Amino acid sequence: MSSTPWMDVVLQALPDWLATRRWFAGKDRPIDAVQALETTVLVDGDPALVHLVVEVRQGDRRDVYQLLVGARRAQAPDVPAAAVIEVDDGVTMYEASGDADLTSELLGLLAREATIGDVSFRLEPDVVLDAGLRGRPITSEQSNTSLVFGSQYILKLFRRLSPGLNKDLVLHRALRDAGCQHIAQPLGSIAGRFDGQETTLGMVQQFFPDAADGWAMATTSVRDLMADPGTAPEEHGGDFSGEARRLGQAVAHVHADLARALGTADVGPDELAGKVRTMTARLDAVAADVPQLAPHVPGIRAALERVRELPTPLRSQYVHGDLHLGQVLRTVGGWTVIDFEGEPAAPLEERAALRSPLRDVAGMLRSFDYAAHQLLVGQPDDVQALTYGALNWAQVNRDAFCEGYASVSDLGDPREHAVLLTALELDKAVYEVGYEHANRPDWLEVPLSSIARIVEGVA
Amino acid sequence: MPDGSELQRHDPLDGLEDVPHTGESVTSEGLLVEPQADDFAHAHAAPKDASWYKHAVFYEVLVRAFADSNGDGTGDLRGLAGKLDYLQWLGVDCLWLPPFYASPLRDGGYDISDFRAVLPEFGTVDDFVHLLEEAHKRNIRVITDLVLNHTSDQHPWFQASRSDPEGPYGDFYVWSDDDSAYSDARIIFVDTESSNWTYDPVRGQFFWHRFFSHQPDLNYENPAVQEAMIDVLRFWLDLGIDGFRLDAVPYLFEEEGTSSENLPRTHEYLKKCRKVVDDEYPGRVLLAEANQWPSDVVEYFGDPSVGGDECHMAFHFPLMPRIFMAVRRESRFPISEILQQTPDIPDKAQWGIFLRNHDELTLEMVTDEERDYMYSEYAKDPRMKANIGIRRRLAPLLDNDRNQLELFTAMLLSLPGSPVLYYGDEIGMGDNIWLGDRDAVRTPMQWSPDRNAGFSSCTPGRIYLPVIMDPTYGYEAINVESQQDSPASLLNWTRRMIQVRKEHIAFAEGDFVDLGGSNPSVLAYQRTYERPDGGRDTVLCVNNLSRFPQPVELDLSAFQGLVPSELTGGVRFPEIGELPYLLTLPGHGFYWFELCHSDDNDPR
Repeated sequence: MSSTPWMDVVLQALPDWLATRRWFAGKDRPIDAVQALETTVLVDGDPALVHLVVEVRQGDRRDVYQLLVGARRAQAPDVPAAAVIEVDDGVTMYEASGDADLTSELLGLLAREATIGDVSFRLEPDVVLDAGLRGRPITSEQSNTSLVFGSQYILKLFRRLSPGLNKDLVLHRALRDAGCQHIAQPLGSIAGRFDGQETTLGMVQQFFPDAADGWAMATTSVRDLMADPGTAPEEHGGDFSGEARRLGQAVAHVHADLARALGTADVGPDELAGKVRTMTARLDAVAADVPQLAPHVPGIRAALERVRELPTPLRSQYVHGDLHLGQVLRTVGGWTVIDFEGEPAAPLEERAALRSPLRDVAGMLRSFDYAAHQLLVGQPDDVQALTYGALNWAQVNRDAFCEGYASVSDLGDPREHAVLLTALELDKAVYEVGYEHANRPDWLEVPLSSIARIVEGVA
Repeated sequence: MPDGSELQRHDPLDGLEDVPHTGESVTSEGLLVEPQADDFAHAHAAPKDASWYKHAVFYEVLVRAFADSNGDGTGDLRGLAGKLDYLQWLGVDCLWLPPFYASPLRDGGYDISDFRAVLPEFGTVDDFVHLLEEAHKRNIRVITDLVLNHTSDQHPWFQASRSDPEGPYGDFYVWSDDDSAYSDARIIFVDTESSNWTYDPVRGQFFWHRFFSHQPDLNYENPAVQEAMIDVLRFWLDLGIDGFRLDAVPYLFEEEGTSSENLPRTHEYLKKCRKVVDDEYPGRVLLAEANQWPSDVVEYFGDPSVGGDECHMAFHFPLMPRIFMAVRRESRFPISEILQQTPDIPDKAQWGIFLRNHDELTLEMVTDEERDYMYSEYAKDPRMKANIGIRRRLAPLLDNDRNQLELFTAMLLSLPGSPVLYYGDEIGMGDNIWLGDRDAVRTPMQWSPDRNAGFSSCTPGRIYLPVIMDPTYGYEAINVESQQDSPASLLNWTRRMIQVRKEHIAFAEGDFVDLGGSNPSVLAYQRTYERPDGGRDTVLCVNNLSRFPQPVELDLSAFQGLVPSELTGGVRFPEIGELPYLLTLPGHGFYWFELCHSDDNDPR
């Protein structure tokens, strides 16, 4: 089945179809044009599998995405209906990540390190892949698409592409070389060419079938506490502080390994001032949209300004960049940190930059706050006992996390770096305010109340 | 492990005057005359089944606490024999009796003063043979505790050893002129003992004891001791007993510069015992009591290349506190971790697992800083410390919550190993925490709402411990008779689950695969047994450790096309496909499934 005639049909259908995709980042404005940059037939015949790199133009914005397009003539595949892109002349064209017949071919291509056109499949050194497993997409993802093969491997396809090696792959390789025990081992990668550079399209890693994510673990504990309000968090059966402490240790090990493998840099006064300006600018932007933030703005601004007075140089290094409870997995062997891409919404330069490891700590501390309060959202006002319990839970587990971190890190206890940690937490909370205002107004109170507490604590 | 309670002080000879016992007479060479098996009747053997222990349901029963046949207020062997119909009805395959030997009872009977006589208040050796005979008729086996490491200081061997150093027993114990040897051995009962050596004024020397100072260690360096103890095994095996739980096995030998635990020569001696059993008494078993980490305990199964050549079974100690902890935490990880770190065991070996027994739960293994960091980490978790040092029965531990009682029992019956039930837990008996020491969980079995709970016809004041009388757990509310009459009772539920377990060999001998899953509160595992003909028996167990309803998605794609059939009701669930299999469970709920082929094409 030759791909050319129906590829044109696919491209014409894409503007409407893309807007319905969860991973498509440009839903806020109309699509002007979709143009194919690369078309690579990975599997020819019926069904066929085509790797497609497209450029999406929206006004002055140009984003590049990769797609896996399947085409079948005989029988429509057993995939969710929403994945169909177009039906034309008896051929169904569809998003192929749910079609195990086709995706199992990807694993085969990786196992034999195939190169097709500009798309090359490579294994990490000394890795042998068990080909022939069927893949299934995991359903919880937002910005990428991941396929799990036979409970052994997970292949992450980066949806929005940036030229060059993906930070996720680079950091995983560095951590693997450093012998880090708290990551899923990188096993291989898929690369293409884009803007003249070799560009990471995907990464295959060890999969942990026994894993539960930190958010599920933490909210289980909170739920248990909420069922017995009035019990001290460290006394109740579902106490999470032992896990939080071990999690702090795991994160500190990851930071130490990253610093050792990729080095550190000094941040001088000018750069520090620049970072304060960035954070202040974000504050101003969010405050302009969210009136409820207004009373806290002077307090936040003052806390951010205090960062300028810190003695320099400060240490910066590669960090996770978007650390929260959903980015850590509890396995039978302990805690594992995943997804080192950084915050997907942030510009590339910001994601690639060296940062204070306290940025990750602040992210995790904010996440404990979220986990503690999420059951209160939408509750009637009469929840004082629960609110008290939630605050207590967050405090106990934030402390345990910091203690665990301090027991490993040469940075010491994060709480001793209060000025910077507070500023980074506030910066994260301001981002959350903007996000909740736009997406989940019911949740706005969660970051707002945190900001109130932090500012009050500082003042 | 020896027992710290002192029920009563006995003169070890009280009541033995009229029955055969060690030391009745002495030969001209100074040897004690000991009763021989041929002095007694022998029980017929239990039906042949070389691997019975791998699929048996064990039931720990205290002779003193079960049934009193002669109205003296204390349970006895004849009383227990009279309740065998009940135990057979329940589905019990093997009774485990803590020691019933002659003893001054300074350590709950673990201080044995005559290995060849029965504690008079429990009956006689003939009564024990009667119990064996009646049990075997019902296809129930009987094992008992045997302490190899030491004796009571009242044992005639010790009396002879201290008074006649040059006599035939002079070297039966570990004597020394000073208390300096083996100083690297820890003191186990730190609360009561300050040294492993105690001075004996009679002999004018120190004797070695790893436990209480009234329990001198036997000297296994002496071949005569090794032979004498094997003869003790033979004595009971000849009468027809089905095996021994060997108490405190790691301590038989001492060696300078070591901890004097788990020494190679201790293992050698156990191999010798095993050979006697295999050669002379096939089908009987040895069960090791070694309160150590599974990775150390597996040494007591012996050489895996021959299927194991030391003990057939060993208790898995760390699993039990972790079951409690996992449900407290609503997290499967405490259980998953300990099972993942449990090594494979030889072909002919089997774990014994339990929720409660006559001892308190110890934290011995969770505080050893030398172990894997995870173990020591868990000791820091406050709940582990607060709630595991417990002397309570299962029902009160679980707040008498029927859902949790069922969940715990379901895990006991489905996790890898042979389950050991503790008497009374099948009806949800309570405890009496006002009784001293470990007696809280040793009160009389509650048979009926009649006087003394149907346990004894004596006047209530004579009973060895008062029956439980509180409104929740008292014998008028909780007893066998009323629960047998009630189809929904815990007793009938437990019996039904034991039956279901026996219908699937996978529960007993299947391998164990933790299925993980994205929900940390759901523990799911599969047990698969491959029959010699290549057929498979697979059961799937899904346990909700949370009090709240939970969904779970399980990757069952390896079983695509099969249909889970729920084992208690036979209801068929949707066919397994390629996508994750979704189940929802009520709070503390569980499912047992077998995996069947689809019956879509069967006639109907």
